[in-house]
Amino acid sequence: MIDFECTVQEGCVGERLRPRLAQAIEAACSEVLGAESGPVSVSWVEARKGFGFRGGEPSTTSLVRGRIPDGCSRETRGRLLHALERSWRRITGAAADEVIVSARDRGWTG
Amino acid sequence: MPFYRCLIPPDSLSYEQRREIAVAFTDVHCGISAAPRSFVQVVFLEVSGSGEIADSHGSGAMRYDTPYFIAGGNRAGRHPQVKRRILDGLLEKFSEIAGVPASAVSGRISEAPASWTMEAGRILPEPGEESAEWHARAAPAA
Repeated sequence: MIDFECTVQEGCVGERLRPRLAQAIEAACSEVLGAESGPVSVSWVEARKGFGFRGGEPSTTSLVRGRIPDGCSRETRGRLLHALERSWRRITGAAADEVIVSARDRGWTG
Repeated sequence: MPFYRCLIPPDSLSYEQRREIAVAFTDVHCGISAAPRSFVQVVFLEVSGSGEIADSHGSGAMRYDTPYFIAGGNRAGRHPQVKRRILDGLLEKFSEIAGVPASAVSGRISEAPASWTMEAGRILPEPGEESAEWHARAAPAA
């Protein structure tokens, strides 16, 4: 089981794009981690205008945070992060500094 | 990587208060850690009552029973005292700017390895391993 929570800023990633982004996340996970890594679910949190900040200024940054099966090598995780980041930027047109991508082990307690 | 989600009651904070808190959180975090200011993300989410929110850096959920809650997530690897200083600083500033008693605000910071996150197109360095080149490439706040 893989799940991603995407926190986006209101007006930056329209609802029209979200199904494509979810498909791209699923495709990247399948390609890098293998289909046997399980189903992928994607949820969305939208920060209302005036409710999201970066460095103290209004933010346009998306945070794409996921949980993946434990035991991923550093190299594989790096490939996944790159694939997710590329897809996100291609679909949204975001700049490199407007997307943060992470993939943590499901068993990591924080 | 620093990601602070502030859970607040509906209509409790003005835009100016939210912005002031976001600036203060950036000051606190960057005053203690080596993170570039542009890496500090603060999001306000309006909620009612107590409850729980998914941990952004761990596998579980963070439970809260105060009207205001700071759900933080940082790079792992800092000394526990440093982590405590950051959280204490955030709680103090939040209480002061929001104009609410300290007892009304609680928070928790969870952590994950830096190499599990990509920001501005690059895998993050571990705390204390930030190069001058990495700082130079860090994007300006926007």
